[in-house]
Amino acid sequence: MSFVSWQYALFLPLLALLYWQLPWRGRIFLLIAGSYFFYGMWDARFLALLLTTTVVDFFGALAIAGEKKSTAKVIGIGLLPFCWLIGCSTFYSAQPAVAKEIIFAAGVFPVAYGALYQLLWRLPPEKQRRAFLILSLCSNLSVLGFFKYFNFFAGSLETLLAKLGWHPGWTLLHIILPVGISFYTFQSISYAVDVYRGVAKPTNDFFTFAAFVSFFPQLVAGPIERRNDLLVQLEKPAKFEVADIHDGLRLILIGCFKKIYVADNCALLANYAFDSKTALNGQWALLGVLAFAFQIYGDFSGYTDIARGSARLLGIRLNRNFSFPYFATSPSDFWRRWHMTLSFWFRDYIYIPLGGNRHGALKTLRNLWIAMLLAGLWHGASWTFVIWGAYYAALLTLYHVTPGLNRLAVPEKISRGWLVAGAALMFAFTLVGWAIFRSKDMTQLTGWFAAFGNWNVSAAADWTKPGGWWLLHVVPLLLLQLATWKARDEAELSRFAWPVRGLIYTLLFLLVASSVAPDVEFIYFQF
Amino acid sequence: MKTWFTPAFVMLLIILIGGELVVRIFYKADMQGRFEYGYNPTAGFVENADGTVNLIRAGGRRFWPQIFSKTRPPGTFRVMVIGDSVPRGASLATAYPAQIGGKLRASGVKAESFNLAIGGNGAARSEIILHKALDYQPSLVILHVDNGDEFEDEREFRRAEAFKGWHPRTWLMKSFFIRRLYEVTTEQIFWKLVPAEVRVLASVNDTGDKVLAGANPATRREWDARVQKYTAESVALARQRGVPILLLTESRLHADGHDGFYLDDRGLDELMRPMLGGGVYFLSMKKILQKTNFAPLFTDGTHLRPAGHEIVADAVVEKLRQTGLVSGGH
Repeated sequence: MSFVSWQYALFLPLLALLYWQLPWRGRIFLLIAGSYFFYGMWDARFLALLLTTTVVDFFGALAIAGEKKSTAKVIGIGLLPFCWLIGCSTFYSAQPAVAKEIIFAAGVFPVAYGALYQLLWRLPPEKQRRAFLILSLCSNLSVLGFFKYFNFFAGSLETLLAKLGWHPGWTLLHIILPVGISFYTFQSISYAVDVYRGVAKPTNDFFTFAAFVSFFPQLVAGPIERRNDLLVQLEKPAKFEVADIHDGLRLILIGCFKKIYVADNCALLANYAFDSKTALNGQWALLGVLAFAFQIYGDFSGYTDIARGSARLLGIRLNRNFSFPYFATSPSDFWRRWHMTLSFWFRDYIYIPLGGNRHGALKTLRNLWIAMLLAGLWHGASWTFVIWGAYYAALLTLYHVTPGLNRLAVPEKISRGWLVAGAALMFAFTLVGWAIFRSKDMTQLTGWFAAFGNWNVSAAADWTKPGGWWLLHVVPLLLLQLATWKARDEAELSRFAWPVRGLIYTLLFLLVASSVAPDVEFIYFQF
Repeated sequence: MKTWFTPAFVMLLIILIGGELVVRIFYKADMQGRFEYGYNPTAGFVENADGTVNLIRAGGRRFWPQIFSKTRPPGTFRVMVIGDSVPRGASLATAYPAQIGGKLRASGVKAESFNLAIGGNGAARSEIILHKALDYQPSLVILHVDNGDEFEDEREFRRAEAFKGWHPRTWLMKSFFIRRLYEVTTEQIFWKLVPAEVRVLASVNDTGDKVLAGANPATRREWDARVQKYTAESVALARQRGVPILLLTESRLHADGHDGFYLDDRGLDELMRPMLGGGVYFLSMKKILQKTNFAPLFTDGTHLRPAGHEIVADAVVEKLRQTGLVSGGH
């Protein structure tokens, strides 16, 4: 179910109304049911994967903390994915049938997991914790690896072998990428690691944990939450505050504005610039990447705002994911402002465990490169995403080693003039990054760069009027950013008097309601 | 405890309700048939107190703005042309309906002609316009017939029906204020700023679906049957009201694969044959244009340049003389 659909417009208020009528336990069950329904609207079969992740990390985290559960309980709860798939095969005739092999694997899973669970408890206590963490990481990463990266690596290997003169001739599997898999597996991994590090306590309540893993506002595209941010809020009953409803509705309105008005209308131009069979000229290459920059920002930050707003209607606060990213003065500043929960995830679970910046310049750069390459690959199974990650690693290196540029990494310590110059330079670098990100393959990417060698106006469709279209959709967003800049929160308007707020709300609502562009799926769902 | 309704939210509601009231009170005529996508019989026709009728863009009708008297002036030959984007033309003055009036007047006939054609209108929606047009005593109706707009007719009919239903998808657009704003954005900004190449790639106008549907021979046969049915109904209606009707069949330009072109009536000429006679006349665009160097007369495979419109207008005027519908002049 998309956030910008009539189904969601009915689903959310109905769920919120019911939610506040129920006692705490009832709310948890409602959240699970609502979240599974929300996710199942895409493809109910993949809820079995979500259940598997939930089961493995629930028992895994408890075991890491030294709490053993009975084999019967582990196997009993472990049967849930199998039961779900049987239910799908029986009742969901509209969807493609679940393969027998998958049902068999789901049937074997509780027995195999139960056996492994018991086996690991026989290890010496000092090895047990690590073993359960490894089990949790392996199961999460293998699910992610199979569904997201199997074909990519198999295909790349086949290409490589073919270049060496060996044609293995294996066929790639027809794998559908489950929506949001990268988000919920990362959230689940952070839970297990935090428990292992002792910075978080595992929950003893399977249902609360299931609500944490599947919490619908952030299930498919984040923000990626931690145990100490989201689960603690679910563990106790939220107190109803009218102010939360106001904040939630404001966030949803701003999110819809960013997605429907800014992103979807910019997408028209970006798609033409990158997908058209017609050769581009320099003007269209520039306009296309500018349009994509605001499409992806509006799309993803809009999604986050709607997610935060939806959660707020339920009395739950989600983390911010964006903080004026196009005003960043350096690559490191950019990553502190763009998809913040993912950046912090890579910082806390990859970069710092590798040593961070504690072991000299060379190792710092090595760690940066590893983290950025993985971050690039996280976005998608394609070499263009790997190049995108490498591009940011190279930029971070450049800013790290170049005197003058490295000062831009701390915007609080530079003058206003340098701030503007730094932001402009970084925005130009960001545009190049988005061109890499948006390109489907290397041919498209080289085509985009080649277009800058051709400034012949008649070489593509007229770009001046679409330029006006782009401005028409970007200027209101920039004005909103300026209006919220002082509050350091992209959706905070409380500093304005109510008549100004009323006008802003009206304007945003009318722009959303009269937006022309056709519906476009959220970009980050594919990750 | 905070109140449920903040002043800013109340202000938003007041502006929206106020806007809705203003549109409903002051732009009532403009909003006529707004949700019926051309299936409202009177949308776009505004009858004024002074006895004139305005043709406007409203209610799924994008008429060229025109004005005429409700009652045909005595001794005036009044021609009304109903059809799709081809007779509508790139401008009112250069399209063949206006040129027919001009040519008749130039030859001494007291005549007036009106362009009631709308892009994308198929046979069903043309029939609905005909119903209203016949109220204004035309001396002749020219029904421009094509079988390439049935996809749009069916789609818009489904939309019109959907709007009558309860579905939440349509709730927002049931507001006249929002709908008006949406149409202004679409017509004044989107269509003017976003080039056709960009729109086509985004499938804004269902081009892909239409091409796919048209590639199916069974669907094409269904479209032909619709055209035959609704055109026959139009003919019967005109006969019943005693108004002569001229069926003008459209023709498309195709490359022949040998650096040349040919014209294709797509079976329309044959389809019209059973309806002729008894005040029903016929002209084939294919036969008209075949006598000329026709390829340069087209802007694309379908639409005509002003010179093409002029040739069609000449043929219509000639037909009117041959049939005795007009006489006198030169």
